[in-house]
Amino acid sequence: VDELRILLVSGKLAPGSVLPSVRRMAVDLGVHFNTVAEAYRTLAEENWLDLRHGRGATVLKRDAPAAANAELVDELRHRLRALVAEMRAKGASAAKMRFELRALADEIQP
Amino acid sequence: MKVHLLMSSFSLLLVTVFLLFMPLLTRRGIFFSATVDPEFPHSDEGRRLLRSYRWQVAVWIALVVLLTMRIVPGRPNFAGTVPLALLIAGTALIYWRKFREIHSHYGVHAPEVRQATLSVSAVNENFNRWVILLPFVALAAVAVYLNMHWNDLPQRFPIYWGADGQPNRWANRDWQGVYGPLLLGAYENVILLALAWIMSHESRKTVMRYVTVRGVLFLLYPLTFAFALGPLQPLLSTPVWLGPGVLLVSIVGLMYWSYRKVSAPQARDDVPEPQSDDYWKAGFFYWNPDDPAILVSKRVGIGYTMNFANKWSWIALATILVAFLVPGFLKSI
Repeated sequence: VDELRILLVSGKLAPGSVLPSVRRMAVDLGVHFNTVAEAYRTLAEENWLDLRHGRGATVLKRDAPAAANAELVDELRHRLRALVAEMRAKGASAAKMRFELRALADEIQP
Repeated sequence: MKVHLLMSSFSLLLVTVFLLFMPLLTRRGIFFSATVDPEFPHSDEGRRLLRSYRWQVAVWIALVVLLTMRIVPGRPNFAGTVPLALLIAGTALIYWRKFREIHSHYGVHAPEVRQATLSVSAVNENFNRWVILLPFVALAAVAVYLNMHWNDLPQRFPIYWGADGQPNRWANRDWQGVYGPLLLGAYENVILLALAWIMSHESRKTVMRYVTVRGVLFLLYPLTFAFALGPLQPLLSTPVWLGPGVLLVSIVGLMYWSYRKVSAPQARDDVPEPQSDDYWKAGFFYWNPDDPAILVSKRVGIGYTMNFANKWSWIALATILVAFLVPGFLKSI
């Protein structure tokens, strides 16, 4: 789900494009059909995909969400800090982390 | 007696050559069915393991040959089966021990990243309509030709020859004898096309799939040639070895091309197969209940094997078996 969401947010999966069927995706990934179906359903609930029987999964054009409130920004900060702490604990260097975070920031489209 | 011994020795020789090279007849990154670094088979340790396997197989072959020389003269019926069965069983055991050793000491155990292609149009192999139709058109053309030269055909003509070059099965000049081989050829072509279609739709997009689907489509031609030559032989007086010879040369050439393709350094799968060795029982049998794919790239030799944890694999296997047995059954009633 996360990998697909990254592609959708970054715009690499354009609105209107059709994703492979649940069966095809499950065969490619070597995972159970239910796992892929659940992932598609999650993205459909987030309004990323249009799931219609017999038509596969179509990427939807999503309106820009309302401006994030302070709570969301706090959540982002909290999760990023937790992730940075976890990576530092696993031995990732501060310089490398700074580089990766900056690269990530540069990738974010306005 | 001599023919039995000769046949037995020849088939033993062929199988021996295959068994000695078997660990190399696979794709990059696989060695003795275990997932390894692509360069490992060329390392000193990789070479040592291959040498050790070959020595063990050679010793086992020598033992089987000695046993065969004692058994076969008294029991010619065993000549074709017992030595081969012993050879394959012993080599499988040697191979399995090497698989365990390589998997434990040199295997790649890193967590794997699964990939899927998101382009719907590029998922399946494309089948050129004319490549598929041409063998059927050729069989139909041969049928028309035979019909036009019906009276030139002998009343009875040979269709199978033994290893000694003598005919051992004959056909009559009736519709079964003349058109039967052509119908059988068309039937075999349909089965091969069905296999190619299943491979294209029920497996991941790998170099192995590229090679196997094209290989199957290519085989339609020498097979069609061999089947068409059966009833044409009495009219054209072609050498009896021509059909089987063309088929054999085609298979050998196909195997060489396939091996070069799958083992090329630049060979990359669009959608890789699951790499964990844990899915491979004894290094031979793929068993992954979570994987909905019916067909997966073989780790021994070129081509496909089945996911034996999937019930549809067994159903497909039974269907293929029945499909191959149908002509024999129809012939017997």
